[in-house]
Amino acid sequence: MEITWEDGAQSTYSAEQLRWACPCAECRGEGGSPGRLSRVKTLSDAELRVQDVTLVGQYALQIAFESGHATGLYTFSMLRRLGTTDRR
Amino acid sequence: MPSSQQVLEALGGIKDPDLGRDVVSLGMIKELEVSPEGKVSFTFELTTPACPVRDRFKSQAEDAVGGIAGVTGVEVRMTANVRPAFLRPKPSEILPGVKQTIAVASGKGGVGKSTVAVNLAAALSRSGAAVGLLDADIYGPSVPVMTGSRRVPQQVNGRLLPIDAHGMKLMSFGQINPSDEPTIYRGPMVGKAIEAMMVQVDWGILDYLVIDLPPGTGDASLTLAQVVPLTGVAIVCTPQDVATDIAVKALQMFRKLNVTPLGLIENMSWYVCPECGHRHEIFSHGGAEAAAKRLGVPFLGAIPLEEGIREDADSGTPVVISRPESAGAKAFVAIASQVAARTSIQSFRQLPVINVH
Repeated sequence: MEITWEDGAQSTYSAEQLRWACPCAECRGEGGSPGRLSRVKTLSDAELRVQDVTLVGQYALQIAFESGHATGLYTFSMLRRLGTTDRR
Repeated sequence: MPSSQQVLEALGGIKDPDLGRDVVSLGMIKELEVSPEGKVSFTFELTTPACPVRDRFKSQAEDAVGGIAGVTGVEVRMTANVRPAFLRPKPSEILPGVKQTIAVASGKGGVGKSTVAVNLAAALSRSGAAVGLLDADIYGPSVPVMTGSRRVPQQVNGRLLPIDAHGMKLMSFGQINPSDEPTIYRGPMVGKAIEAMMVQVDWGILDYLVIDLPPGTGDASLTLAQVVPLTGVAIVCTPQDVATDIAVKALQMFRKLNVTPLGLIENMSWYVCPECGHRHEIFSHGGAEAAAKRLGVPFLGAIPLEEGIREDADSGTPVVISRPESAGAKAFVAIASQVAARTSIQSFRQLPVINVH
């Protein structure tokens, strides 16, 4: 996935990177209990393939993976941060 | 005979004060013709019929073109074409024919948000725009009474047709459920109901859809900000601290959701006593303007506390339509122009482009 920002800057993301960055409560954990992403070491191929991306209002993208996981709302500010710290 | 190029160069000196660019590069000059006798005619296409500088643009255009050597006459046709705020990434089922969506919110209840929303919509409609008004206040729908439209909407092909009143298209939960029975919903149901009012209602082609939100920073506002790409939100408050403080919270919530604040509106700003003619500032004065300055958002205007505004709201005709000469109506019209101008700016803003491979 590629994003060209208002100021012309470009960010590129791999599906794998996006999946591991999923901000949803299941992946991140909530109320002090650790999330799924801190417990597992690997994810299946279906979990790492993007199926669909939809716009949520004007502030976020909802990314659906082929595994059916689609609960993460990736805000644009988060994506911008993720895009600039990308080391690939 | 002057050339088209000369005419465009002269018009290029006119700058749109809100968009900060000249009117030629903004594509506002159309159907330009120069006759062999030196008569120049063209269409000046504004981004909104409620443009606050409409008359100024017309005289500036006449002066600029009239000053070119060889021009014997100038005919300027003023029109307006509201541009869509967003080019949708894919054809969506949410409000496909609606060009601009304007939310009216408040934070605190009882500040006259619905009255402002109804009159804002009516003022935009009177200026010549195609306007819809969605009453998203599920628990306390006031739009049906304020617009005299307590009728059950018709259903065609499984979709609801909005009610036609005062030249606007209206939809409210008060029409779907017009009795005295309350709507007793938990949060998630509110979200579903608001979504249904957008997806299942045939809004058709609209320049503006004004959305009257319930007070607060909860489910209704969140659902709206997630489901619709809102052009912006206008926040209504009364001048006293207890109202402006909560209005600020509402505004900050929309900022977090990346919805552009169009500005603050001060309602019940002053009262002129019909007996003594003295101006009273019952709820204080200038609070919204000060808050707007502090937050760095536009102050859109102030509306007086007038018996006529309340009377006309209760009898079902917005004051903008029933008494256009009153101070209250004039305040609403001026605010509608400001809102329209701020909305137009959004059509020209650069948005992120997302590509998925």
